[in-house]
Amino acid sequence: MPTEQENLEHLVNRRYEHGFVTDIATESLPPGLDEDVVRAISARKNEPEFMLDWRLRAFRMWREMDEPTWAHVHYPPIDFQAISYFAAPKSDEDRPKSLDEVDPKLLETYDKLGIPLHERARLAGVAVDAVFDSVSVATTFKEKLSEAGVIFCSFSEAVQEHPELVRKYLGSVVPQRDNFYAALNSAVFSDGSFVYVPKGVRCPMELSTYFRINAANTGQFERTLIVADEGSYVSYLEGCTAPMRDENQLHAAVVELVALGDAEIKYSTVQNWYPGDEQGKGGIYNFVTKRGDCRGANSKISWTQVETGSAITWKYPSCILRGDNSVGEFYSVAVTNNYQQADTGTKMIHIGKNTSSTIVSKGISAGRAQQAYRGLVRVMPQADGARNHTQCDSLLIGKECGAHTFPYMEIRNPGAKVEHEATTSKISANQLFYCRQRGISEEDAVNLIVNGFCKEVFKELPMEFAVEAQALLSVSLEGAVG
Amino acid sequence: MNSTALSFDALERAVAALPDNGLSALRRAALEQLRRDGLPGAREEDWKYTELSSLIEIANNWLDQGAALPAPSMRAAPDAIDATWIRIANGQIDDDSITGLPDGISVKRLSDTVPELAPAGRLGDFNIALLHDGLHISIGQDVTLQRPLGIHVCDEAGDDSVSQVRINIDVAPGSVASFVEYQVSEGEADLYSNSVINLAVADGARADYVRIQNRHKRHNQTSHLTVGLGKDARLRHTSFDLGGRLVRNDLVVDIAQPGAEADFGGLYLVGDGQHIDNHTRVDHRVGPAVSNQEYRGILDGKARGVWNGKAIVHEGADGTDAQQSNHNLLLSRNAEIDAKPELEIYADDVKCSHGTTVGQLDEAALFYLRTRGLSRRDARRMLTRAFAQATIGRTPVEQLHDFLAGAVDSRLRELMHEGDQ
Repeated sequence: MPTEQENLEHLVNRRYEHGFVTDIATESLPPGLDEDVVRAISARKNEPEFMLDWRLRAFRMWREMDEPTWAHVHYPPIDFQAISYFAAPKSDEDRPKSLDEVDPKLLETYDKLGIPLHERARLAGVAVDAVFDSVSVATTFKEKLSEAGVIFCSFSEAVQEHPELVRKYLGSVVPQRDNFYAALNSAVFSDGSFVYVPKGVRCPMELSTYFRINAANTGQFERTLIVADEGSYVSYLEGCTAPMRDENQLHAAVVELVALGDAEIKYSTVQNWYPGDEQGKGGIYNFVTKRGDCRGANSKISWTQVETGSAITWKYPSCILRGDNSVGEFYSVAVTNNYQQADTGTKMIHIGKNTSSTIVSKGISAGRAQQAYRGLVRVMPQADGARNHTQCDSLLIGKECGAHTFPYMEIRNPGAKVEHEATTSKISANQLFYCRQRGISEEDAVNLIVNGFCKEVFKELPMEFAVEAQALLSVSLEGAVG
Repeated sequence: MNSTALSFDALERAVAALPDNGLSALRRAALEQLRRDGLPGAREEDWKYTELSSLIEIANNWLDQGAALPAPSMRAAPDAIDATWIRIANGQIDDDSITGLPDGISVKRLSDTVPELAPAGRLGDFNIALLHDGLHISIGQDVTLQRPLGIHVCDEAGDDSVSQVRINIDVAPGSVASFVEYQVSEGEADLYSNSVINLAVADGARADYVRIQNRHKRHNQTSHLTVGLGKDARLRHTSFDLGGRLVRNDLVVDIAQPGAEADFGGLYLVGDGQHIDNHTRVDHRVGPAVSNQEYRGILDGKARGVWNGKAIVHEGADGTDAQQSNHNLLLSRNAEIDAKPELEIYADDVKCSHGTTVGQLDEAALFYLRTRGLSRRDARRMLTRAFAQATIGRTPVEQLHDFLAGAVDSRLRELMHEGDQ
């Protein structure tokens, strides 16, 4: 097994390798958005009436809403009528039941991404619900999961098979009118993942979805809903890569997590969408709403994210700590290079008694990138004994990048203990010198230091992701030094 | 937008009725600017936690009733502070107080000069539009002031009233000066005072500035202090907010020359029915330079405190060291603190940090004091006083320490008594 050092060396100098397009004809709707498009999406997915009504309500709300402008990011106006709101692989009619039935071209794509699906699934014991564009095309380990009673399927499938669960929980954490992009997603979401872990069940494996954005000029609107019933546990891994494209692609996903009493959800993300080229051309617009609701007592939701991709990121995975003694965690590493812009952070809303939250955010900004941490800690009057500790550190590499911190603390309970610390600095010349003195090249030294800086977050990642995350970090910082 | 809009017709009449002097053209321009922009509303990020509607209501009432300024109150400045006092009462400058000043201090009325008034936001325009007159204070080159120069702003409200204070202060190169701004008010009617002060500290000069606000619990204040620092200039600033109903203070420090040092902070004691908001912004345009701020708040009863510190390190400001900290003691269930320490950094050779805490008195420390025979109330008071003492201790004008300790202590007694009920 190569050492971490060799890994880094190998990765430092390579370009974004996932920039390719798999040539599969996609069956897209023409660009534009009106009620008919919403109806068409719902009809294609053969959805029950309640889903169509839900989408239409969301669409009507969206039309009344203004695009938010408060984030610390700049981009040309988005023409929402120029986007095609549905793209599905052609083989939608008869979906593959196992990997063998999967289009070899698709498997090739995963191969190029370095995700040998079956092998990885078998070796690592991970069930992979691979999303290619908007429709799930492969689900593995389904049998093993169903033995445990865990439902893990595409969202469309859940709408057909478990409408009562979807109806009960959909929009209960992120309502349709929550924000502009959440409303848009609610109206036009194409697919995503659905997880339900029954009472007292510890999900026997880590669940994982790989996302890809493929068809050109197609917005991608994922919807993920994870429900952990009382006393259950689930760990969910989300990772994504996208092919190289010149046109900006909009991605507005919504992720909803519900943890009932004594349940725990661990949600890990490695996000590596195409960030645009060195001149800032192209790249994904990633405007995501992620929120977890610790609905029951003693529940816990933990978000871990490694954000290296996208031209623009706008993302605040949050926890609503409703249940007494519930726990929210947010661990984040965000890397921006070249012309990338990120405005990311979290919200911790303390409602129950003795709730606690931890926020660790590490931002690395290089090139001409701009990055902002934006966080909210709110302690409601009834949240006796609430506790929060926030640490957000930024590392600057280069003279033209920026790192910003906008933490909000709204504290209304005298029993609350809230601490916030933040630092911003560049890589210490002493540390660099020390490494160089030991014969380590400057780029390697920077990678070492950056990895050390992020260690606190990486150790929260599941094993499979930790390695990938370190690799991604190096690729993302490529060219930032010297 | 505010739920209440400023009545522009009445404002226009009030502006037209002001004495015609060197400020007339500026007033009209400010009125037009204000008509275009309006006053800040709660949907704006900088005003998210502080709603000005109640102040606009007072202003509208006052404007409707003819916008007369009450006769200036003759309340004397506190004896306990040994300073050369300049008095501004109900927005009117006390002529006697600006004559016969010590050598090295020169004071002119703004209407007698051709004033250049730095922008201070929309409340700054509101200030100019309704300004009777302001002052330009200059501290001569290489002068070291022996006594602080006091600015005594006292208002008396027999009827609803609104008053404006505008002062430009220049501290010439190589000078050392200290200032005490003391804002008080009395009277049972509603009152809104809006002050804008510009302090320019030239190359190599040093300025110490202490702001004490101890207004009547019915009265409101917005204040805006802008400080420009020259090369190797130094500012030390501390503020104390003890009274007032709705109080909003903005402190803007602009570092445009290398070698500057700014050290500022404050203490806000917020009790029943009070809302005290401190906003700071420091712009590091060049480096090396240092800014360090520390604010502390004690909240009891139905109180709301807001602290928003912003440090902006502009492109190229290498060698910047910017530190922020904010600590809050929440002593009651109905108190709320909204804190927001912001950093915006566009340069890489910087050291910036902020720390914010919200908490209560340490139970172990309380217990320790109780085992020594102190009542719970006394123990609480002692620990709270110690928390406040940190700000008194860093106050630059040393002769003020005793006065401040007394003022803070008596306000704390009231505050914690209110909280106990």
